[in-house]
Amino acid sequence: METVYQAQIHYRSYLSEEGHALTELPAWAQSPDTLVRYYRNMVLARQLDNKIIALQRTGQMGTYASLLGSEAIDAVIGDLMLDDDVLVPYYRNHALQMLRGLALSDILSYWGGDERGNSSVKMAQDFPNAVPIATQALHATGVATAFKIRGEKRVAVTICGDGATSKGDFLEALNVAGAWQLPVVFVVNNNQWAISVPRSIQCGAQTLAQKAIGAGIRGEQVDGNDVIAMHEAFEEALKHAREGKGATLIEAMSYRLSDHTTADDATRYRANEELKAAWEKEPVKRLQTFLHQQGWWNEVQEQAWQNEVNQIIQAGVDEYLAMPQQPVEDLIDYLYAELPKALQEQRQRLIRNAQPGGNRHE
Amino acid sequence: MKYFKLPDLGEGLPEAEILEWHISEGDTVTTDQVLVSVETAKAIIEIPSPQDGTIAHLFGAAGDTIHTGEPLIEFAGEEDDSGTVVGELKSDAQSTSEDHFFIGAAPSTAAHQAQMTPAVRALANRLEVDTGGLKGSGRNGQITPDDVERAARADRTHGKAEPLRGVRKQMAKNMALAHAEAVPVTLCEDVDIHDWTEGEDITMRLIHAVAAGCKAEPAMNAWFDGQQLARRLHSKINLGVAVDTDKGLFVPVIRDIGNRDLDDIRDGLDRLREDVINRTIPPSELQGGTITLSNFGTIAGRYASPIVVPPTVAILGAGVIREQPMAVAGEVVARRVLPLSLTFDHRAATGGEAARFIRAVIDDLAKKSIS
Amino acid sequence: MSNAITMVEAVNLALQSEMRRDESVVVLGEDVGVNGGVFRATVGLREEFGIKRVLDTPLAETMIAGLSVGMAAQGLKPVAEIQFMGFIFPTMEHLIGHAARLRHRTRGRLSCPMVVRVPFGGGIHAPEHHSESTEALFAHIPGLRVVIPSSPARAYGLLLAAMRNPDPVIFMEPKRIYRLNAQPVEDTGEALPLDTCYTLREGSDITLVSWGAMIKETLEAADQLAEQGVNCEVIDVVTLNPIDHDTILASVAKTGRCVIVHEAPRSGAVGAEIAATIAEKGLLSLQAPVARVTGYDTVMPYYRMEHHYMPNTADIMEAVQTTLEFA
Repeated sequence: METVYQAQIHYRSYLSEEGHALTELPAWAQSPDTLVRYYRNMVLARQLDNKIIALQRTGQMGTYASLLGSEAIDAVIGDLMLDDDVLVPYYRNHALQMLRGLALSDILSYWGGDERGNSSVKMAQDFPNAVPIATQALHATGVATAFKIRGEKRVAVTICGDGATSKGDFLEALNVAGAWQLPVVFVVNNNQWAISVPRSIQCGAQTLAQKAIGAGIRGEQVDGNDVIAMHEAFEEALKHAREGKGATLIEAMSYRLSDHTTADDATRYRANEELKAAWEKEPVKRLQTFLHQQGWWNEVQEQAWQNEVNQIIQAGVDEYLAMPQQPVEDLIDYLYAELPKALQEQRQRLIRNAQPGGNRHE
Repeated sequence: MKYFKLPDLGEGLPEAEILEWHISEGDTVTTDQVLVSVETAKAIIEIPSPQDGTIAHLFGAAGDTIHTGEPLIEFAGEEDDSGTVVGELKSDAQSTSEDHFFIGAAPSTAAHQAQMTPAVRALANRLEVDTGGLKGSGRNGQITPDDVERAARADRTHGKAEPLRGVRKQMAKNMALAHAEAVPVTLCEDVDIHDWTEGEDITMRLIHAVAAGCKAEPAMNAWFDGQQLARRLHSKINLGVAVDTDKGLFVPVIRDIGNRDLDDIRDGLDRLREDVINRTIPPSELQGGTITLSNFGTIAGRYASPIVVPPTVAILGAGVIREQPMAVAGEVVARRVLPLSLTFDHRAATGGEAARFIRAVIDDLAKKSIS
Repeated sequence: MSNAITMVEAVNLALQSEMRRDESVVVLGEDVGVNGGVFRATVGLREEFGIKRVLDTPLAETMIAGLSVGMAAQGLKPVAEIQFMGFIFPTMEHLIGHAARLRHRTRGRLSCPMVVRVPFGGGIHAPEHHSESTEALFAHIPGLRVVIPSSPARAYGLLLAAMRNPDPVIFMEPKRIYRLNAQPVEDTGEALPLDTCYTLREGSDITLVSWGAMIKETLEAADQLAEQGVNCEVIDVVTLNPIDHDTILASVAKTGRCVIVHEAPRSGAVGAEIAATIAEKGLLSLQAPVARVTGYDTVMPYYRMEHHYMPNTADIMEAVQTTLEFA
């Protein structure tokens, strides 16, 4: 018997769990600029996450999906994507959305149960969060198809969790991306848990990156807690796509340091030791250690940045809390480009009920 | 805020149990400082402070259950506000209720309304025809446009029918029922009262005579149950007296006429009549009659076939007193005569019993005086 | 006297009860095992019945539905959980294209005795896609049964019936009332009948027809109307396909008036089917047009504006007044 195909999946990492360089670093990582920027954004993301959870616990926010543990992935993608590219995110990418220009108050609005959080002009052509699992992967291939048809040097970037790779949508997206050589980058934030289901029983394959092989696209695994590895992998994938060479699947190894959402309790199904071990590898501390070692960051800067971050977040929270209620007719006015005649009566009823004397007047 | 109330910590969770307070009353806390650990049906959650402040009061101790929306903490020196719950979620976690239901339809669904198409219903509304009383001539008793138009024509020609109300409506029902149920026989006789002492009260004489009749023949002072085919003879005589009013027929009941003196009865009757006319008579005074008297003779009429209303078995009618020629000891002379009509329910009494009753009544009425 | 339990506990009790009785019952879905279900409806089952009867599946609803079709055709009784109604759409191909018609197209040689449990409806502050009421999509499919309980006791008895039913049942659980109210429920193992309405309140003036969580508001409206002297008959449709129209028609024949209440958008919903049947078969009894109190024909709002969408008790009372005042 002859071997007709053989493939390998590579794992990329530059920083050890303790924050030491494991190998020679790429040129850009030998100076502080980019890494310090990454660090600052990751701190901001983490503090934002803490604040949103506190708001939820005090009844000022809806059910919320924490981003804890995915700071490095979002920081890199948000930094390297061009304005012109299109992000097709899932529901754990608010740090990435923030880096794409979305105001904190918009992010808070979305999680606070207000559609206007999706409406900012800052989002340009980016998609809103995909809550139904893996559906966004196919939308990204559609966006990429449009780029390709028009001959644009733009890239669609989509993120999903490890659980999403079990869905047909994800595999169908990889397949069409391979068949048509689409300018798309698929990033799997493999945080090891799909609510209560661990990666080990989600899929029998050794890596999720190898799903790329079946679709005929590039696939690699990368340490998602390591910004340098993440940067290298994602930059290559973007370049590859932009040059018309096709799609890449990046499996970024991370860990969901939080519950699935604020309505979840991971202690029911996850061993405390495992979580403790994961905290040893977490991305923010790792990069901080590295920056300290390099002398690119110190306690004074840390304190100053923490203070600034708190102010930035508080300003966003204040703006969010001060937002007036949206007009009730918004519930119906954006359904179609033009309001169909048949909906006029219902629209009037909505308004009437919300007005003084109506049964929903507040 | 003054009171920090337990927010909905999951998705529709109604309550949480306090596991541990991390602060005490009097402590100063800062925003996001962990206040308390609670356990919900889904998770153990640490709740941070929504604001800076001093804790005035903790609601509940470890092990206590707090419901969503209930106060958890009181902050010192704060004005109360509407709380922190965004779009409050109602919860009746404490309420336990029984669950009653019928599988399928409720028993009462057998009752059906008059059937007609909406167009016919609209026609009836426009023509102001009350469809409640219409009998449908259509398929399955359905009311047709013709039925409605016919009713409308009748209304135009004869005026609108006036629906009966109150006592008049009750009378109509009772009489129809009585007519449907009882087997009435009417017996007529004249009484020669020519020799009455001046000033005899006709009504009182009739009441007295009924009492005498009942004593002679208890079968007339009875209730009859047509379903069970059982009769009940009464020892007390409770006489229903028909009173005509513009609102309709009332039959107030004079109690125990066999054992009361005449003045007392007279007073009672006057009071009842007054109450009837003033419409102040309580329903209890209209119930419990064992035999009935109808003195239509105060208006007009000689004989009648009065209707006996079950469960009573007899009603005595008295016509107009008049002078008429009578044969007395072989000579025709003019005498004052009171015509009587007795209707009895032949299911409950024999002709003989009725005849003996009216014989005793006549004998009593024939007396010159009872005072 | 057993303890009072909530609806989600009643679902759990029915599952446990039937799994003890019938070894062919297998529970499967995302997070149903170790975690006991995102709403804890399957809690304790993994511990009692083991990993061969309580399957934590990969995250893929299409797979869960298709897998269940295969298991059911093999004589197992899969009880699949779809976490939220908003995530049921990938199952449609298997439910509509296969589960609903396997018996029919094999002329009875194969069948599909499966249950799909799915929490649905709004009012719990969930993120988007978690609050829809799309029962009509399933009620429209010949071959599927759609069953919705509205109390702990009915959840218990109806879920037992669903599991014992030889055909596929979509068992939709109104999650807003999952933990709202506790009632004594005995683990008698007795199923309640499917394919029949349940009359929750007997009355003579008007018929209120509803199902699911909206039964709560409907009963509240009936209570308040009773104080005003209006006697409402309240019918819980329960089985949305096939619908027991006879019960509804008999009630409307008595009262002459009908208000249908549902959370789902107005157009093309199950309420429309009921109103159409009343128009066909109960027209002659009607004293007023059938009224509907429903959600709007729009996307379910995020939770901040959700209460503007959800029908409330005042809406129902207004519709009843309008119906009663109709000449």
